[in-house]
Amino acid sequence: MRTILSAFFTFALLAGSSAATAQPGPIKIGAILPLTGSGASYGVWMKGGAEMAAEEINAAGGIAGRKLEVIYEDHAADASKAVNAMRRLVEVEKVPFSLTSYSAPTLAIQPIAVQNKVVIMNGGGQSDNLANKDYLYNNIPVVSNEVGVIADWLAKEKKLASAVLIVANDEAGRNAAKTFRERYGAAGGKVLAEEQVALDATDFRAQLAKVKARGGDLLFISSYGRNVAIIADQARELGITLPMAGTSWILVPEVMKSKGAEGILTTRLPFDPNSAFAKKFKDKYKTDAGFFAVQYYSATMIFAKAAQEAIKKSGGALNGEGVKNAIESIRAFDTISGKLVFQANHGAVMDIEVGTLKGGKVEVEKIIKAAP
Amino acid sequence: MTAYLAHFLVMVGIYAILALSLNLLIGYSGIFSLAHAAIYGIGAYASALAALKLGVGFWGGMAIAAGVGAFASALVAIPSLRVAGDYYVVASFGLQVVMLAVFMNWTDLTNGHAGLPGIPRPKLFGWVIDQPFEYVFLAAAFAVLTWAICRRLTHSAFGRVLQAIRDDEIAAQAMGKNVVLVKIVIACISSALGAMAGSLYAHYITYINPSSFALHESIFIATLVILGGSERLAGPIVGAFVLLAIPEALKFLAIPDTVAAPMRQIIYGALLIIFMLVRPEGILGRARARAQ
Amino acid sequence: MDLFLQLAATGLVVGSLYVLCALGWGLIYGTTLHFHVAHGAVFTLAAYFAYAGQKLLGLPLAVAVIGAIVAAAVSGMLIDLFIYQPLERRGAIRTTLFIASLGLLTLIENLLAIIFTPDPLRMDVGWLADAVQLGPVFLTRLHLVSMTTAILLFLALMVFLKHSRWGQAIRAVSSSPEMARTVGIDLRRVHLLTYAVGSAISAPAGILIAMDVGVEPYRGTTFVLLASVAVIMGGIGSIPGALLGALFLALLENLGVWKIPSEWQSTISFGVFLVFIVVRPRGFFGRKIQSAEI
Repeated sequence: MRTILSAFFTFALLAGSSAATAQPGPIKIGAILPLTGSGASYGVWMKGGAEMAAEEINAAGGIAGRKLEVIYEDHAADASKAVNAMRRLVEVEKVPFSLTSYSAPTLAIQPIAVQNKVVIMNGGGQSDNLANKDYLYNNIPVVSNEVGVIADWLAKEKKLASAVLIVANDEAGRNAAKTFRERYGAAGGKVLAEEQVALDATDFRAQLAKVKARGGDLLFISSYGRNVAIIADQARELGITLPMAGTSWILVPEVMKSKGAEGILTTRLPFDPNSAFAKKFKDKYKTDAGFFAVQYYSATMIFAKAAQEAIKKSGGALNGEGVKNAIESIRAFDTISGKLVFQANHGAVMDIEVGTLKGGKVEVEKIIKAAP
Repeated sequence: MTAYLAHFLVMVGIYAILALSLNLLIGYSGIFSLAHAAIYGIGAYASALAALKLGVGFWGGMAIAAGVGAFASALVAIPSLRVAGDYYVVASFGLQVVMLAVFMNWTDLTNGHAGLPGIPRPKLFGWVIDQPFEYVFLAAAFAVLTWAICRRLTHSAFGRVLQAIRDDEIAAQAMGKNVVLVKIVIACISSALGAMAGSLYAHYITYINPSSFALHESIFIATLVILGGSERLAGPIVGAFVLLAIPEALKFLAIPDTVAAPMRQIIYGALLIIFMLVRPEGILGRARARAQ
Repeated sequence: MDLFLQLAATGLVVGSLYVLCALGWGLIYGTTLHFHVAHGAVFTLAAYFAYAGQKLLGLPLAVAVIGAIVAAAVSGMLIDLFIYQPLERRGAIRTTLFIASLGLLTLIENLLAIIFTPDPLRMDVGWLADAVQLGPVFLTRLHLVSMTTAILLFLALMVFLKHSRWGQAIRAVSSSPEMARTVGIDLRRVHLLTYAVGSAISAPAGILIAMDVGVEPYRGTTFVLLASVAVIMGGIGSIPGALLGALFLALLENLGVWKIPSEWQSTISFGVFLVFIVVRPRGFFGRKIQSAEI
């Protein structure tokens, strides 16, 4: 029955898709990124990084002689858009692999990845729930590592004993806030209030007025993208003079340039703005590179390495299962930011820096080395 | 590619159910609702949560969805249908806003913006319906069922009372019909069917989050009804087919998605205006002059 | 207490925007009985006109703002002239008009999204953006401008309707179109005038949003429906009613946050609305819309 139906549908579609027959063309992979919306700045970096990697791979002869083609899709921070994009990539483009980003979209597409045996690699989302998922690899540490570091640092070294929280009401924001409460509490700090905000909102005054009334020594912003800049500006405007803090995902151009965010305490993941990669990125895209550009450059390179291995093993064919097995067997990859070893939970570990945002740059005060 | 066509047909089936059920209000009762996406979402969430948390599976989930959908609709219909039509537009918009906030903010239940992944596929006599083209038959079966229910309703004595109310509410009232009760009943039936579509969607996509049930979705469903033609039962089905084909056609034009999504909406908006200007009475039934 | 005062002040600032939107929409609805949801698009257009005037054409702020208000008034008139009037000539029912209006709203919003991207765009207002402290309350200078604008435009509208010849014509049509026609008032011209005045009054609300937090293409829909709630609560056809309804909603939404979690803010108005139409379908002042009028 199924074959007859399939035949029928194939026939019905022949008119529209003459090139549907299999021939050894380019290797197509997906990239589901925040190209629009409040996180569009991340999208510029992520897409640029992947693009640069693909160009370099192709200039060096491709993967086992085949060109690499990246198909970019926009999720605009919305998981249901990511699901639609993933279905298209899997069902129409038949990709064996896709780059992905953000926590909620990645969690939403992971069951599709498992069902269709397609590997997804996330270089941006940091929710703890992204760990230990089949067919999902994260070349970034989960946020609890970073939040743990900064919560300790704020409570013990900066002696900020009580905090109020502004939290983006999505997977990433809430997950970071939850970890912050646990680790800050364990380090002797006290969370006085928490207010949730929408990621695409532009007016946070009611929420800020509410947390302001609770006092405290610190405002922790568990959000990311453009809205952190608006939150910081409106907080200052409302007369909130508390020190503010966040994690590495606040480091986007809008925030680094904003007046309100000056002096914000933050973690940072290792990124060298003077590297050859950063210079090349700046030449090509006329904008400064950031951490996430390196992340997606590396993730694409990791795929190329794994795909080469998988093709060697299978003698030509490339599928998601092969890529997965190759990643599992290689495990340690050389990247431009050092050696990356996938842990048993499918995640990565990195050094974490803590410091203060001053004049558009983070002045690092302390580096917490990744456990070997 | 076959999977893609199957996906298209499943979506046509789901939207046909939504449009048929909304048409009971817009076309047959003269009630304009902006909350059908909320009802659709209530169905999707009720069914998904029932399956994920209570383990009742697709069929039980769908029954619960229909019940919850009808109940939510009654809550809004009872106060607002007592008064004039414009009030219902605003009240239904209110329901849309409130429900979206519930999906978004009642995070313990709905998981908020992050949504609910891993919703099980339906099972029929132990056979899991997980291939897109199998789902085409399931969606089609429900679309036909909805069509049959609507046909039954609109061709019954109840249906004639409805149309009498739509055409002249005062006269219907004078004839001793309980106008408010009839309207509330039809709002509940319409919502139960709309919620069923939500259940079909949730178990098909296997993932839901609030953004699938926002206001623009309500406007889209109303557009299906109006452009397809609300006077005939087949109208909404034709509407669903044509309007869902537009974005698919746009995909072949290699427009970036950031432009394609608003472009779709622009086409829908323009179609609404053009249809209203060119043949309003052909769409919403016989010409009825403004009561001035 | 400080929190209460701060929330009340924020409520008045937001309220002044709701007031402007509700005055314009309510004037149009009360006079023409058009459920003009495309008013949301006109108000957003005004904001983009002002933004484009300042940022793309490099006009001085005041010129950009005045230009945008005029452009909004013209847009409102064009909508009436080319969409609503042809529909009425064909004897379209009110639902038809509403659907066309909805179509127009969708069309304009998405056109703006393509032209200007869906991201919020903010105008430069220089020192107006600076914070001021009034006792325990923190606002920006721009917020004071918002409140002043709302008060002044409300008073101006009242004077216009009471004392000018055209204003009296609008009031005549609003209270009884048949009577107005019999005494020789041209309904079409009065409708056009109403659209111009109504659009011009709401335009500053959109522009003030563009100055404060930035304008987004899809902002208008919620605003216009909130305006309709305010107008129904205040009583259809009553200008002071629209003012009170809008202020009531804004204060409710902001003071409500005092006791309930802020993420439920958007639902407060509509929840109260549902209760309100059960208790008092006539609104605070004004007439009840009967089904028979539709």
